[in-house]
Amino acid sequence: MKLAILLFCILITLSAYLTSGIVGKKYPSPFTTPVFFSTTVIITILLLADISYKQYEPAKEIMTFLLGPATVALAVPLYKNRKILLKNLISASFGLIIGTVSTIVSAIFILQLFGVGQVLLASISVKSITVPIAVEVTMGIQGDPALAAAFVVMTGVSGSMLGPWIMDRCKINSPLARGLALGTISHGQGTAQAATEGELQGAIAGVAMGIAAIVTSFIIPIIFKVI
Amino acid sequence: MKNAIFIVLQIFFFWVINEISYKIVGFLQIPIPGNVLGMIILFILLVTRVIPIKYVDSGSSLLIKHLAFFFIPIAVGLMALGSVIFDNFVAFIFAILGSLIVGFIATGYTAQKLS
Repeated sequence: MKLAILLFCILITLSAYLTSGIVGKKYPSPFTTPVFFSTTVIITILLLADISYKQYEPAKEIMTFLLGPATVALAVPLYKNRKILLKNLISASFGLIIGTVSTIVSAIFILQLFGVGQVLLASISVKSITVPIAVEVTMGIQGDPALAAAFVVMTGVSGSMLGPWIMDRCKINSPLARGLALGTISHGQGTAQAATEGELQGAIAGVAMGIAAIVTSFIIPIIFKVI
Repeated sequence: MKNAIFIVLQIFFFWVINEISYKIVGFLQIPIPGNVLGMIILFILLVTRVIPIKYVDSGSSLLIKHLAFFFIPIAVGLMALGSVIFDNFVAFIFAILGSLIVGFIATGYTAQKLS
């Protein structure tokens, strides 16, 4: 039975992903981006089939096994585009730092308007960085690791879904700027989305994701001293 | 067939770098994720030509093309956090979307205008 559920979970995840590729090509929109589309389909099927997340987790472990190696592989397009990156090092650095600070401060500011507690503020502040670091950083400022991880995933899903759309509206069309913003604001999921736009975008996003995580871990304690 | 084996070997190589990097990060307690350090290590190996690009090109293309796939199972995890999210749903939506718009425009504009 366990094996049957495992196989079923892998099968629906693979099918949802393949379908998202076909649907996304035919009807490009934020709702047909791979992660949003597939996740919605999978959660719906799991709820209908009465399968809990706990039962889905073994399948998740198997399917995410190659995530680490895939991130390492981003070094290849980075190497191929190293000259472009070097040429734009200053503008990219400025964009990354300004973007990181502004997205953290605006998230905290908006949640404060709703009068939520300190734990929620501390948990949302790490939303733009990759899960393992987000958990570490949020614990240093009395945030909740599970909640922080949820914010990270929500930011990843919504950022990869809406980020390209927001940038289209604002005429941000340089591949470097788009990749940088996707990696800086939406970590790994943003990087994956950037990779679908092009090799350069994906490579820049991969670097931006790493540096944004480091920058965030340094500035969050400072921001929380100020507020 | 030969090509497929070649790609599997490349992915195995990325996996080895990844494992080593996590060990280094854990040992030295540096605040970056292991896989990002792995990316930096592979980049250095490529720049110094210790590893020629042609040995890792096809495997990396395949993995990166399907990078989004790996985040789907992770995002499915949101279904387990239903109650906390529902309790503060409106606040979360505004905070996530608001900071997203600010962040994308700030990062994108700055990088585009300056370059």
